[in-house]
Amino acid sequence: MSNRFLDPTVLAGISGLDLVARTVVEGFVAGLHRSPDFGFSQEFAEYRPYTTGDDLRHVDWNVFARTEKAYLKRYIGETNTELVILLDSSASMNFSSTGVTKFNFSKFLASALVYLAHLQRDSAGLITFHEAVTNVVPPSSRQGQLMRLLHAIDKAETGARTDFSHPMLQLQQFQKRRGITVLISDFLAPADVIIPAVEPLRYRGNEVILFHVIDPQELRPRFREPVLLVDMETQDSLEISSDTGAYAEKISAHIAALKEEAFDYFVIRTDQPLDAALREYFAMRQRRN
Amino acid sequence: MGLFSPWFLAGLLALGLPLWLHLLRQFKKTPQPFSSLMFFERQIQSSSKHRRLRYLRLLALRLALLALLALLFANPFIKRDSLLLAPRKRTVVAVDNSFSMRYQNRLSDAKAQAAQLSGELFAVGNKTARVSSIEASDEASSYGEFARAMRLYEETKSSALDVHLFTDAQQTSMPNAFADLRLGPLTSLTIHEIGKGAAANWAVETVSVPARVFDSSTFRLTAVIKGWDTNETTKNVSVILNGRSIASRSVTVPAAGRVEAQFDNLPIAFGAAKGEVRISPNDDLPNDDRFNFSIERSDPQKVLFLGRPAESLFYKAALESSAASGLKVSDNDSDFSPYALIVLNNPGTLDRETSDRLTQYVSNGGALWIAAGPATVRAGTIAISGEAVSGTREEIDGNVHFSAAARITPSAGDRITQKFSDEMPIKIERTLGEGRILIFASTLDQATSDFPVHASYVPFILNTSAELAGSVGGRSSVTVGDAIPLRRSNRQSASVDVIGPDGKHEIALGEATRATAFTPEREGFYQIQTASGKHFQIAVNADRRESNLAKVPAETLLLWRNTGVSSSNVAGKAQAVSEPFSLWRYVLILVLIAAVVESIFASRYLSEERRAA
Repeated sequence: MSNRFLDPTVLAGISGLDLVARTVVEGFVAGLHRSPDFGFSQEFAEYRPYTTGDDLRHVDWNVFARTEKAYLKRYIGETNTELVILLDSSASMNFSSTGVTKFNFSKFLASALVYLAHLQRDSAGLITFHEAVTNVVPPSSRQGQLMRLLHAIDKAETGARTDFSHPMLQLQQFQKRRGITVLISDFLAPADVIIPAVEPLRYRGNEVILFHVIDPQELRPRFREPVLLVDMETQDSLEISSDTGAYAEKISAHIAALKEEAFDYFVIRTDQPLDAALREYFAMRQRRN
Repeated sequence: MGLFSPWFLAGLLALGLPLWLHLLRQFKKTPQPFSSLMFFERQIQSSSKHRRLRYLRLLALRLALLALLALLFANPFIKRDSLLLAPRKRTVVAVDNSFSMRYQNRLSDAKAQAAQLSGELFAVGNKTARVSSIEASDEASSYGEFARAMRLYEETKSSALDVHLFTDAQQTSMPNAFADLRLGPLTSLTIHEIGKGAAANWAVETVSVPARVFDSSTFRLTAVIKGWDTNETTKNVSVILNGRSIASRSVTVPAAGRVEAQFDNLPIAFGAAKGEVRISPNDDLPNDDRFNFSIERSDPQKVLFLGRPAESLFYKAALESSAASGLKVSDNDSDFSPYALIVLNNPGTLDRETSDRLTQYVSNGGALWIAAGPATVRAGTIAISGEAVSGTREEIDGNVHFSAAARITPSAGDRITQKFSDEMPIKIERTLGEGRILIFASTLDQATSDFPVHASYVPFILNTSAELAGSVGGRSSVTVGDAIPLRRSNRQSASVDVIGPDGKHEIALGEATRATAFTPEREGFYQIQTASGKHFQIAVNADRRESNLAKVPAETLLLWRNTGVSSSNVAGKAQAVSEPFSLWRYVLILVLIAAVVESIFASRYLSEERRAA
């Protein structure tokens, strides 16, 4: 089933990241409802007493009217998972050959994930980084958290080079319980540098999903004539002929090296719809239930 | 080295085209951002250098190809010294067997001397012949034609010629222009003069006699007797008809002069007769002491006048005023074929049947005289012939007043034989098939002019009618080498025939439907049948210029010899010459090689680009 609102080029025409997120998720959820394999249930499970800080929207006011006590509705599938999104904002994320940069695509994905988490009443947080951490929104399910996250995603800008070790330290500081960590990056660093940096994310039983965002031109570069390429992070230059030699083998080996690790590793091209990535996340979310 | 066509080097300007194209496709140095270079190999940089080298190689090949093409068209050459080897020498023995060589023993002397030089046998195509078999001819000699033949022979055989000409060196054989005697650069000429000194000769130079006699049993003959290099002498002149002498008289021929002998009232029977004027005693060239002529007595030819009876009065009176015209007006028009001439006076628009009959009559060889009048003007066109008529005009030509001469617009193929002062035609002639049409811009009566009352009317009518009908103006004799016309049109269905003096057909059967003229080569009487079906006899005589045996001055012969080379130079001397040697073949080979190599390199380059794309 295809949904044109999951197409990144269509999403690029939508102003407002919140609208993008809603569009993506609702389209995704609608697809889930029609799929026999997935269910996104909002079925009532139980009541729990209201505590300070809980979202007043979930208070069952009928019960309050009858009992004068505030109780929150709890639904099936609601396990209060904590989602933290690590968004790579290095300079290389600005590359595009399809009209949608990797960074914008990553923002669409991140905003869709936080919106999905919001619907499932999970607490969600965000860390944007390049060679340093640029922004941190600690995970929370309080009222307004969604807008805070969307705003943080929206205002994120690309920086310089990539350093995976910094955000990991930051994450360890505020991650109190097990949850899902989603790392959205183009992973343009040697695999033996990335893996040791990302490995600590699995401590304390966290589920880690690596979304490797890649542009089609990065996967199979095609040049009609010799060109002078400039590295967007290092500013190194290299004259390249139309014959790219062993590039394809190298990048395939890099992807294979990342896939070998025990992470949930998912390659997503910027010319592909977002539903595949969302489905991957949702499957993991279901397994945790 | 030089260039035959240096202007083609302007094609080198085309070298700018591949340079311009290649410059446009220069490797772009504009940096393009890429996410990471970590997966590219450093060696790719060097392969781009290799690629650039291949690109430049392709450019160089294309430039070389264009330059070679320009050079090819410029046609380069080099000067190469070559040894012009002594050309193979051919000996040509030429024996003059023209009419004049019959004088005394000149021909036999020439043959004997020729045989002495070359041997008795000589080659004629694939066969051999004997010098002794050469016979005298009735044709005139022409040194101009001989020189042209030798030039052509030298050119054809590409060899030196050593020409020995055995001739009586007759002055009348020289061409009008000395340049016509020019010999080829490898030809040497040796003239063996046969017969020394002056040679006295008398001949019957001309005979004037009507070709046809109509209403009389007698005819008049005038013969001219001439002497060359002669003393005054008395000659007996005889007229022989069909082998029988019918008249004879003595005349005194002045020294180196001519005399006229006239014979009146010579009897002639009906039919064609073979005549001869002979002088005696004979001299050392007896063949020109006689002159053949042909004469025929026949009934007057019929002329059909088509018009109102009153219109024919003037014409009929004029025609029949002279019996010598050989024409008689007849009014019976049931069948056109017996008529030698049909006169169409003031015709309007003819009915289809009459028009077809007249057209058929003319096409088969008949003669038609159309006199345009008021009815013709109203019709707007000339019947049968088709010329447009646009009104009339008043004109005075000489002292003849044309009150309403027709304005005739000539058509293609018309020949205007007489015009008014303002160039408007009076008389137009044209052919139609084997016949002739004469168009006159006025009637032959007084309807449109006062011509019939003028003295010039009668001779005009007589001469024009006789000429159209062919009753006069025909020749009783022609000269050897003159062309006798056999047909007017290219209509090839009608056949012609010529029977020679020996009774044999002179034209092959296959040529009978194509031959347009006949050229007799010997004296005698010939029976001619033309494509129009007319039969007539004609006498042929040798050219009387051959009777003048005066010699070419020795200086002139020497000058003629000097237009060639001396015989010693002809004999086997090699000459070094510097001649241009064209190199276009080698340049063409280089062009082809460059084109093949360029196509191979270009296809490799294109396949690389396709793979990259």
